[in-house]
Formats: sequence, C-alpha cells, structure tokens
Amino acid sequence: MSANPPKPPAAAPPPAPAGPPKDTFTVVFDGTPIEVPKHLNLIEAAKLAGIDIPHFCFHPRLSVVGQCRMCLVEIEGIPKIQAACTTPLKDGLSVKTTTDKVKSGRAATMEFLLINHPLDCPICDQAGECTLQDNSFGYGNQLSQFDETKRQYPGFDRTLLGPHVIADMTRCIQCTRCIRFCHEIAGTSELTFLDRGGRTLVWTHDGKPLANDWSGCAADVCPVGALTTREFRFRKRVWYLNKTRSVCPGCNVGCNTSIESKEEIVYRFLPRLNPAVNDYWLCDHGRFLSESLNARDVHKATIRAGSSVQDVHVPAAIEKIAQEIRKTVETTGPSGLFFLGSAHLSNEENFLLRKIADHLACPNRDVVVDKSRTRKVKNPKEWVSGDEAGANYRGAKEMGLEPGRGGYGLEAVLSGKASPECILVADAGFAAAADDAEKVALLRRARFLGTAARTANALTRAADVVLPAASLAEKEGTFTNVQDRVQKFDRAFLPRPPIRAHWELLLMLAVAIGWGDRNWTPADVLEQIAAEVEGYGGIRAGDGELEGGALLKKGDFAWAGQP
Amino acid sequence: MSHTRYRVEDAGEPRVFPPEAMARIQKILTRYPTKQAALLPVLWVAQETWGWISREAAEEVARVLELPPSHVDGVLTFYTMYNLRPVGRHLLQICTSISCHLAGAEGLIEQCRARLGIGPEETSRDGKFSLVEVECIAGCDRAPSIMVNDTYYEPMDEKRLSELLDRLGREA
Amino acid sequence: MEPVLTRRIGKENSRTIDGYVADGGYAAWKKVLSEGWTPERLTDEVKKSGLRGRGGAGFPTGVKWGFIPKDTKGKPIYLLCNADESEPGTFKDRLLMEQDPHQVIEGVILSAYAIKCKTAYIYIRGEFYLGARVLEKAIEEAYAKGYLGENILGSGYALDLTVHRGAGAYICGEETGLIESLEGKRGQPRIKPPFPAVSGVFNAPTIVNNVETLACVPHIVNRGAEWFAKIGRNEKNTGPKLYCISGHVNRPGVYEAAMGLQLKELIFGDAYARGMKGGRKVKAVIPGGASANMLTAAEIEDCPLDFDGVAAKGSMLGSAAIIVMNEDTCIVDAARNLSKFFSHESCGQCTPCREGTPWLFKVLDRIEEGEGRVEDIDLLARICGQMANGMTICVFSDAAIAPPLSSVSKFRDEYLHHVEKKTCLVGKRALVTA
Repeated sequence: MSANPPKPPAAAPPPAPAGPPKDTFTVVFDGTPIEVPKHLNLIEAAKLAGIDIPHFCFHPRLSVVGQCRMCLVEIEGIPKIQAACTTPLKDGLSVKTTTDKVKSGRAATMEFLLINHPLDCPICDQAGECTLQDNSFGYGNQLSQFDETKRQYPGFDRTLLGPHVIADMTRCIQCTRCIRFCHEIAGTSELTFLDRGGRTLVWTHDGKPLANDWSGCAADVCPVGALTTREFRFRKRVWYLNKTRSVCPGCNVGCNTSIESKEEIVYRFLPRLNPAVNDYWLCDHGRFLSESLNARDVHKATIRAGSSVQDVHVPAAIEKIAQEIRKTVETTGPSGLFFLGSAHLSNEENFLLRKIADHLACPNRDVVVDKSRTRKVKNPKEWVSGDEAGANYRGAKEMGLEPGRGGYGLEAVLSGKASPECILVADAGFAAAADDAEKVALLRRARFLGTAARTANALTRAADVVLPAASLAEKEGTFTNVQDRVQKFDRAFLPRPPIRAHWELLLMLAVAIGWGDRNWTPADVLEQIAAEVEGYGGIRAGDGELEGGALLKKGDFAWAGQP
Repeated sequence: MSHTRYRVEDAGEPRVFPPEAMARIQKILTRYPTKQAALLPVLWVAQETWGWISREAAEEVARVLELPPSHVDGVLTFYTMYNLRPVGRHLLQICTSISCHLAGAEGLIEQCRARLGIGPEETSRDGKFSLVEVECIAGCDRAPSIMVNDTYYEPMDEKRLSELLDRLGREA
Repeated sequence: MEPVLTRRIGKENSRTIDGYVADGGYAAWKKVLSEGWTPERLTDEVKKSGLRGRGGAGFPTGVKWGFIPKDTKGKPIYLLCNADESEPGTFKDRLLMEQDPHQVIEGVILSAYAIKCKTAYIYIRGEFYLGARVLEKAIEEAYAKGYLGENILGSGYALDLTVHRGAGAYICGEETGLIESLEGKRGQPRIKPPFPAVSGVFNAPTIVNNVETLACVPHIVNRGAEWFAKIGRNEKNTGPKLYCISGHVNRPGVYEAAMGLQLKELIFGDAYARGMKGGRKVKAVIPGGASANMLTAAEIEDCPLDFDGVAAKGSMLGSAAIIVMNEDTCIVDAARNLSKFFSHESCGQCTPCREGTPWLFKVLDRIEEGEGRVEDIDLLARICGQMANGMTICVFSDAAIAPPLSSVSKFRDEYLHHVEKKTCLVGKRALVTA
C-alpha cells in the first residue's frame, strides 16, 4: 500500500529583516542576563542589574586605572579573577560576583588596605560616608593578623594643603582619584604620586596649595578621609545631617546642590549629580557659600521713626509699606513708585514683585546683577560657565522686571535722572551697590524706602522699613540658569518666626494692596508663571518635581539628579 | 624600613640650563615624538649639570618640557638614581641584593660606617663620600659588587675597599 | 657547542664596527636586504627557529611579532629592546652590551625590519653607564656606515635607533612598565589588554624584546632557523642560551650552552662553575632569578635548564639567573633579603603588592631577628596566596611571593627553628671572599 508521499521539505523561512544594530550588549550577571548600554563600565552595568560591585578607584567621570583591586569578579572563560572596571563589555559576557574566589579576593584587598590604615574613625570626618568603612563592613574580614608598625607620613598628615583641603596621608589608599580629578576635570594637575611602593603618597609640587577652583571636589572624590574639607572639619557627624535638594546661589551656572543641615543650621553644601548642568561637581566659591546661609542680623521687622528704630510685627510693617505705596499713588501717581527685584530671589518672588507693580500700573521696575569673574563647571558634554554673581538674573528678567513703557530702571535712579518717591527693594542684598554708601544715599532721596533683608548693610541701615527675610535654605522656589534651565530648590527647614520667605512677604504686600490670594504657595505662583510667562509654559510643580516639556528657549526643565 | 623620597630639597638659587646643556636637550628632543618622553634623559642632563636635582632644577625641567611640575616630581621621586639632595664627590653604591648579600655586602657597609662615619643615605662631613644601598646592579658573578659614581668596582672585599677609599679620599 | 652569542667576547676589537664586520658582522643584515627578504619571511624564519624570549617570560618571539595588527591605522610601529636587566642574579645582557654591542644592534635592526618598525629604542637601565656609552658609540658607527638611518644600504628602509637610559627601577623591566617609562612617566605597568603589540608606546603597536633574544636573530638569519632549532633539548626549547650563575660556587659567571644544560652540570661542571666553594654542600638553588621558586638540593637532580625543564620542577627558567646557596646559608635570611628587594621595587599602584610586599618583609624580618611566632609561618603563606593569580595588575606580585612561599614550603624546619629557638638553624650566611 502506498504510504503518503513524504511532504516536500518546508520552504525555508525568509530571513528576518535586519533590524537596527543594537546599542546594548547582553551581559549575564550571576546567571541572569540583562541588556546594558554599550558605553557603560562593567561596574555601572552591574548596578543596573541591582548588583553592587565594591570599588574605590573607579569613578564614572575619571579614567579607569584598575588599581584598587576591590572590584574583582570572575569572568566565565577566564581562570583568574579580573577587575570588573577594566573588563570591556561585550555581548554575552558572563560575570560572577558571588563565588568564593570573588569573596576571598575582596576580603584580601580589604585586609591589605587596612593593615596600614590608621584606626581614625572616631576622629575622622569621613565616617558615615566612607567607602572603606562600607566595603570593610560589607566584604572584609573582621579580624586582622597584622602585628607590625603601621606606616607613618610625618609632615604629610593633618596638614592644610590649600585654602579648603586638609590632607592626611596616613589615611590614603592610593586610589589616585584626586590626582585624576585635578588632571582630567580641573585641568590643573597639582597632585602627583611621590616615591613608590609601600611608601607612595599623594602631594603637590613643593607643598604648594591645592588651590584650583574645585579643590572641594578633590575631597569629595576621595573615598576615605585622606582629603577632607577644612570648613567642615569636626563640625558634624554626617549621619545627623538632613539632605535637601537645592541649587547653588553663587552664580548663574546653577549647580545642583544638597544643603546638609541639622536643626536649622546649614553645615555644608555638597554637589548633587546633574549630568546636564554640573555633573558630580561644585566649585569652591559656591560650595563654601554654605556658611553664609547661617548669617543673620535681621531678626525682627523694624520701622524707622525719625532717628529711632522700632521693632514691630511683620503685618504692621507690611501695612506701613502698603500705606506708603497708596500715598504715593494718590499724590504723584504710579510713576512715583520704583520696584527693584533681585538676581538672588526666585522666579516666584520676582514674579510676585512684578505683579505688584503691574497691579499698581507702575512701569518702573528693574533687576540688576553684579558681574563676577567667569566660573565654570564641567559636565560630560561641555563646560557650563557664567559670570553673574547671582543665581537668577535671567529668571528675574524673564519674570518681567524691566522698565515698562515710559518707565525707568535702577540706572536712572542712581544717576539722578529719576527720583522715585517710594522705593521697594525686595532683597536688601541684591548687589554690591546695596552696601555702597553713595549709591544708597541716592536711593535714600526717596520719601520712603522699604526692603527685606537677612544681613545688615548700608541699605538696611538707611531704610524706613526692614522686613526679616529667610535664607535660601528656608524657602522653596525656582531659579533659571545660564542654560535657560528652570531648576527647583527645596526648603531645608522653616524660618524661625517672625522671619518669613521673600515670597511670603511679597504675597502679604500684594494682598495688602489688593491683589492676590494669601493662601497661594510657591507652587501656585509657579503655575501662574507657567500660564503667563513666555517660555515657561507647561511647568507643573508636582510633589516637588518639575514636570513638563522642553519649552524654554533651549534645554528643558530640570529636576535631574539623585533624589 | 627604608628611606623615603618625598622631599626634593631646595638649591637656594635659581637653576637655568647652561647653553651646552640646552644644546644636548635640543638634540634629545629630536629623538622623541613628545616632549614628555624626553623627561628621563633631560633629568639626567640636569643631574649631570648640577650633581643632583633640586626643586629649582625640577621646575626648570618642567619649564623646558612644558610639563606640570607635579608630573616632574612624580617621575623624579619614583626613580632612585636621581639624587634629591646634594651628594658627596664619590657616591658609594653598595649592592645588597641576594648574591652580594650572600657574599657579605653588609660587611662593606659596616666598613664604610667605621671608616667614614656615615651610614646609608648619609654624606661625610667633608663632602667627599655619600653612601647608599642599592638593589641588584648585575654584578652578581663578581659579588660583592659596588659602584662609585658611574664606575663598577667588583669584586670588592675589605682590603680592596680600604684601598679604594684611600685612593678616592686622596683625590683633590 | 661552539659559542654563538659569546664568540666575540674578550676579543680585542669586540666593540668596534670594524672588528664586528671583520668577524662577519652585519652579514645577516646585508643578506636580508640583498636577497630581498620580506619582513614576513624574516618573521617566519624566527618562528621556525623556536626562539623564545630570553627576558624571563619565554614567549615565542616570532609569534609575538605576529601580533602586530596588519592595519595599524596610520600609527608607526615601535621596537623596544629591553636592556633593563635588573632581576637579581642576572648579568648576561650587561656582558653582551658592554662587550659585543654590534651583535645587539644588528639584532635590533633585523627585528625592526621584521616588524616594519622605523623607530627603535634600547631602554637600558641607568646603572649601565658603560653599556650605554658603548652602545651609543656603536650606534654612531652604524649610522656612519649606513646600517642605520635613512635609505639603509640603498634599500629604501629607514630605521632610527636611540639609547634611552632608565634611572633605577626594576619594574621598568616589565614591558608595559618600560613603555610607561619611555613615555616619560612613572614606570607603573599598564592593564592588559590592550597588549603592547596592539597599543603600546605612544599608543602605537609596540614589540618589546630582551637583549639576548634580539642578539640571537642575526645568527638565525646567517645560519638558518633549522640550525638554531637543532640546538637545545627539544623543539620547544631551542638555541644557544646564556646562563648566569652566582652565589657560593667556585667560578660564578656567564656561560653559554645549548638550551637545556643540566643544572648540576652548570654548578659542578669543569667548563662551568666548577662546584661549591670550599667544598661546601648545596642547600638551595634559585634557578631563574629572584622571582623563581627555590629548589632544594634534591630537586637539582635531572633539571634541564630550559623553559619546560625548570617548569616541570615547579619553578621557572626566567632570566636564567642561577643563584646557588650552600649549607651555611640561613634560608630565612635569604628570603628576607629577597623580600626586601621586592618591597623596594614595587611600583605601588595596586593594593595587594603595595601593602603585601612590605608586610612580607616585616614578618620575615621579625622571624629572622628572633621575634617570630609559629603562626607567622602560615601567615606568610596566606599573605602570598592573596597576592597572585589576578589579584594585581602585573605579575611582579606573583614574582614577589616566590621566595617566601617556596622557602616556607620547602624549608619549613628552618622557619620553625627560628620561631621556636629564636636563632638561625645555621650560621647567618657564609661570607665568600672574592
């Protein structure tokens, strides 16, 4: 009987269409595959897979040196352990991070690092944010068999090595992060290894100061307490510090910062990662402005009556300003008013000031900023630089603080061409001019001069009304930086009554002259900015996050960086 | 355990390469594609010119080669043959590696100590002799092997060392 | 075996080009050019000869040359002659350079030609003042006679050769340490890969070869790969070899023999070191420089001194530096001395070596000075076990552990005596009067 004829072989399936080349590799970590971008280092790729490969010398922005020997892993197909940071990614790479060999390799490196490392934890600032502590705890052995004299570096320990950095070579683990930072990021190459072998240390030529613009970042990248910042030395144990997302007030580059505070005292700024602006870095000028946030001379609202100055409650002071405004409008008209914003105030605050001027139909409004030397910071794409001594001149101008039709600005007032009767300076620290007796005298020609301040200067001493204003740490808001990027800063702690944020004082004044809602928050004001100011449309401050599309002239809204 | 090479001493006066040295340096520079690669040879020129490399000399080398002074320091302190402080007229280099050790090198060091009053890394008060311990100088078959400045003296023993020190000490 | 590499040592005109040419020198170079050998043919010949690197690693030379990529993307190719000879017990390259410099230079020229290199350097250790002067003079002579420089002997091939002096760092004998040093930096070895043949000095393809290796090449060209390959114990260990012997022997020195000479013959043979000084007995032998595991007296039986023969004994031929220690030697003292060497020479860039080498020295020092504890013996082995097999960037660390690890394993009784009795088992060291 005839069997069914055999089926003809099926036609070969057509070849799959060639897709776009992958920009990822498949890497297997401990048996689990994951797609990782090709350009990453293996340590970074592991992090994507949720695996911590401990390391010291690797830094995502510095050249790879493979020196610390902590990141040891097993690679399938290679009998000896390998440093993960120097293992190139490739498709199908299989990495093992939990084998006995890996564990004992890590423990060995930890043991070697600790034999000469001083037991300084009780007196070392790095404790609590020390990679050596963390990796020892996570991957080291408890007991040591080292019974020799630890290596010392007399003359190279506990020594100030520049205006901001204290060096202690007994703690150094020779990872070269600081050397590479100064060479590759700062471009100043002050640091080098000296000598060799077990006697190797890091120092500058002839002990010259480590004085580049970012020396604080060298202390940041140091994984141990070999380089620490002088200003922070012994101030506070880091585990007590609260971290608040903020933006540096030092210039218009707008580096993202973390305000580190406790109990209403700001102890330091740290950089906050934002690869689009400042990346991992923060310049010394901005970093060490942290102390200035704690300075305060003005604790209460005051009203000058003749030669005496009286403490009053804030609402009373606000009402006094409102009265003076109304008086000017009635007698001379809105042209007798002059409103001066500030490059140090937020978009919300400058916006409120301008709305007050609008409501009063006053065309005389302005903002100025001092020029400074160019400051810059390096991110993976470019150097971002700015030369304005305030964080938000751009934002303040875009909020509308420019003389309107027929109006005049600060220059006219200071040159005598214009003579306003009633001047409101929203921020008494707006520029160096505020502490210049001659310039203040010109402002003082007005019948009424009101301001809000934190620290005293020629202007506060001359003003009729001084409101007590909060520092950057005590309020929230947004700044617009040199890249047209709107960046939000959070509040670290509430101001101590009767001190209030500038936005709150301005809102109280607005309500006193008949505009606005006393219940508005900075988020509400930001929504109005989004609705009214060209280029700011679409911003929404959600639960602290800025959402929205790229609607500014270039760039987009930023809340990038670590939480 | 051993001496350190952290401090480059000051000469106390400026160091500028004299014309003959600069001419040699110009020739050296033609042999390398980068200025940095000429660093070790130029440091040798500096040592031949001034006998040792001071901070001022290191800065002059950095200037000539357009390198950061810290880079020059890093190289200068890594390589043990560059003198970081003035040395005596006769730099006694006694090898103490294994074959010379087996042949009694330490005895020669003690002999120098007794005779000249100096130990390793020290210079005699009259400035005539400096003493250093060095690692293997490839004279193992004529151990113990020593060098004085750029010359080998091997094999060395108590008698020969005594005669050598006599002769060198007599030099004007 | 008739001397090959040492044939001209001791002759009156051994250093001059005239003497060299009169003895048949530069004939190989002329032969290659006049017979129109391609670089590939020259490389093949060296491959067929079985020549293995004489610096310590024993890697097949022709194979190494073949690692240069076909397309170097416009980068020049460099040949670096490793004349940094610093392995304790080694002094053969010094002899070749000081006494027969043109043999080395001809080897450099031929090898540069084989890898299509136009710029070569001889990296010579700083201590070899005489060798550097002799080589520089010889190079001047070679340029003057047209064997170096532009359009060599009308062939169109050009080669520049420069002597570059080191300044006191054993680690610059490591090929990437040498490369870093040549670039004007601290001699800190590089991560591999990339290997120098792909990216070496000035980020360009680079071959690093030892002096003795290069000195073999003119002879391979002159007399043929087959002739070279027939010399030696087997086809994996070929050619004439220079052996350095030092320590407690009657006639330390450099001896040339066919690869695979028996260790006992080298120590006791009449043509060689002629036995132990004072008739003392052998206690331990280091067959390949400080980085090689020690051998006991029993282990020197039937030990052919070639790469595979010594490896079979659990040690290595390395730089063929044989150090002989007699029965009056304190092994702990010897290990301490060797560990001091390694702690001085560690470059310091990676943790296990930087911290481990001084630790080993400190423990050995305590044991030798009578302050050791019995736990210290196993501690030494444990420290060593954490310093090798991938723990570090380069194998300096693997070398550094050889003396303590092999001596603890093979001479444990000496260590025990030190920690229990607080004294040496034997006299500290036998002084050898020269």
